[in-house]
Amino acid sequence: MEILAILIPISIVFIAIAAAIFVWAVNHKQFEQLDKHGFDIFEEDSGEEP
Amino acid sequence: MTLCTLSVDDMHCSACAGKIQRTLSGINSIKTAHINLVRRQVFIEHDEALAPLDILSAVESAGFSPALSGNTEHDAEHRQLLKRLGIAGLGMMQVMMVAIALYAGDFSHMEPVYKDLLNFVSLLFATPVVCYSAVPFFTSAIGSIRSRGLNMDVPIALAIAIAFSTSLLATVSGTGDVYYDSVVMFTFLLLGARYINAGLQHRFDVSSKLLSALPANAWRLDSTGQHAVAVEDLRAGDRIWVAEGERIPVDGRSEDPQVVIDEAVLSGESDWVEKRIEDRLYAGTLNLGKGFAMSVTARFDQSRIADIARLADQAEIQQASISQLTDRIARVFIPAVLVLAAITGILWQFVDPTRALSATLTVLVVSCPCALSLATPAALTAAMTRLRQLGIVLTNSHALETINTVDKVYLDKTGTLTAATPSITATQTFSTEFDEPACLALAAQLERYSNHAYAKAFHSTNISPRHRSRFFGVTVKTGEGVSGILSNGIEVRIGTAAFTGAKKITGDRGIYLAFGSDIIARFDITNSIRPDASAAVTSLKTFGITPIILSGDSRERCKETAANLGIAFLARHTPEAKLEAIRADQSKGSHVLMLGDGINDVPVLAGADVSAAVMEASDLVKSKADILLLSRKLTSLADLFRIARATRTVTIQNLAWATAYNLTAIPLAALGLMPPWLAALGMATSSTLVMLNASRLLSAQPTQKV
Repeated sequence: MEILAILIPISIVFIAIAAAIFVWAVNHKQFEQLDKHGFDIFEEDSGEEP
Repeated sequence: MTLCTLSVDDMHCSACAGKIQRTLSGINSIKTAHINLVRRQVFIEHDEALAPLDILSAVESAGFSPALSGNTEHDAEHRQLLKRLGIAGLGMMQVMMVAIALYAGDFSHMEPVYKDLLNFVSLLFATPVVCYSAVPFFTSAIGSIRSRGLNMDVPIALAIAIAFSTSLLATVSGTGDVYYDSVVMFTFLLLGARYINAGLQHRFDVSSKLLSALPANAWRLDSTGQHAVAVEDLRAGDRIWVAEGERIPVDGRSEDPQVVIDEAVLSGESDWVEKRIEDRLYAGTLNLGKGFAMSVTARFDQSRIADIARLADQAEIQQASISQLTDRIARVFIPAVLVLAAITGILWQFVDPTRALSATLTVLVVSCPCALSLATPAALTAAMTRLRQLGIVLTNSHALETINTVDKVYLDKTGTLTAATPSITATQTFSTEFDEPACLALAAQLERYSNHAYAKAFHSTNISPRHRSRFFGVTVKTGEGVSGILSNGIEVRIGTAAFTGAKKITGDRGIYLAFGSDIIARFDITNSIRPDASAAVTSLKTFGITPIILSGDSRERCKETAANLGIAFLARHTPEAKLEAIRADQSKGSHVLMLGDGINDVPVLAGADVSAAVMEASDLVKSKADILLLSRKLTSLADLFRIARATRTVTIQNLAWATAYNLTAIPLAALGLMPPWLAALGMATSSTLVMLNASRLLSAQPTQKV
């Protein structure tokens, strides 16, 4: 059971990373207008080659 | 040159504004930048070559967090809630995983040291959930206690606080039970419900959507060309340019002979409208054709759409009083819940002390009357939003309830059932002194003073300069006519045969023009019945409502219209007589809806149980009607009745479901028959179900044209 002493801290680190990524994503508006790209075809092309 | 609008939430002071201004003026492709500190917006005029993203990054590098303009306040709240929910979710997963180990450990006799370790791990993961995610519950509960009331969040906050502190004590002391799993689950599920409801509620928001149709900036035309300005800076008399595909920023008149406009935002009608020179253009409507120039007639906050938004806001203020009512329910309900929870706790102490706390927590969480309090407001707001989309504005949210009692609809004829602008079909002249153009000119100049629908028939008359004359002492007699005195002292009258002193002929519907004591002309005026009037009347009848024409017009005219539509009529009623007719019906127990054109009928409208007005153009605010029909379609009256009935059904369903939920869940929880997770899930679903049921109203279909 001593392995817990390593596994628990590892899981804590993973969760902390996951939480940090999630908060970053929300703050950078990654979850807003999730259907926006569906409407992109109606936009005029910028004229630049991709 | 193109325009772009940035919202900069963290621009608080003029120093910030100055910094942004300097940053932007350093970029060559930016021509002007106009900053509005109050709205925290920056209006930028820039070359097409410059992408808005580059402007964003420039402002960002100056130390701000700009966004391309949108509904920023709601978005920020939404993001905050999403973060709390996400953290609660992650925390919940971990606590649950540990909880499984702990449950398993109970059966396989885990060593106490590992049990303590796992408890500490749960504490570690539950702490951010309580201290970050659950904060809205705590702040709201504390706020309500401070204002000496108890709101819905009090029992929830109490449950979370009790469960967490008990568990904390047990963890530190190493004895007793922990409830971390309940804590995180309450928080996650209730936050989830709140997140979903906030999203639904945003869809219901009536007025914010209306004004969001208005652009923030406009192109002002002057001798040197076109310049970008904020809409706030436009004044009456300015000339502006509306580019292809843009929304019109202010009310005004067209300077272009052919303009194609989509007015759906105002009228709910999807048909395009063509406008010519001098035609009125309304703020918020969409230019579907090529760009055009227009002259501004009113400031942006005096536009028709702003008036409508104000009227809709009025109803929302009343809406707020409904939510105050539910708060009052909560004030009675919540103390009862707290007492009930305490009694549950005390009784379980005698029966089985180990289950006392979990039973108490369950009662606290399950008995929140959230669903009950949301039942009515959710349905009302959803209905008002849907009505708004169909071009019907409620200025009084109680009207929606009253409509269901209405069994009689009085319809004003002129301007309501018939087309608003009648036309002159024939002119007879009786005098050798005045030819037809001269008579028409006299009539038209006098009729300018009248608001009556028939007067509009003369408004389009062309008056040649030699027929120009001035009137003094003009008096308007509603329903009879207009009289005025010329500079040579001769009185000119236009109106009914009785008013002008013409010989009365039975069945005569002409308008007479009298010059002194001589009748000099007779005009035939007709207005056609609106094409959808019969469809509207038919669908009203299917609701069991009797439509009746109530008009000041002559018997013959009313009879003709009434026969066409197959309904009863009351003719030759002055406004006073109309009011009396309504009073008489009301004393017989009828509930009456009066549909008028909103200007001539103000006292009558005020007397009816529900008043509705058809609005063609101005005078929106003057009318005291409960309901404004903005579209030119009469079938929207039928839509109104249908949605009012649907709203009643949804409200009753919601109330029944919420009451049933609370009545079954509370005893089950008090008896310890309901696990805490089910309580939280039930609580969350009960309120979400109410919101979802209400949102059905958003998809109510309009009456089809016949």
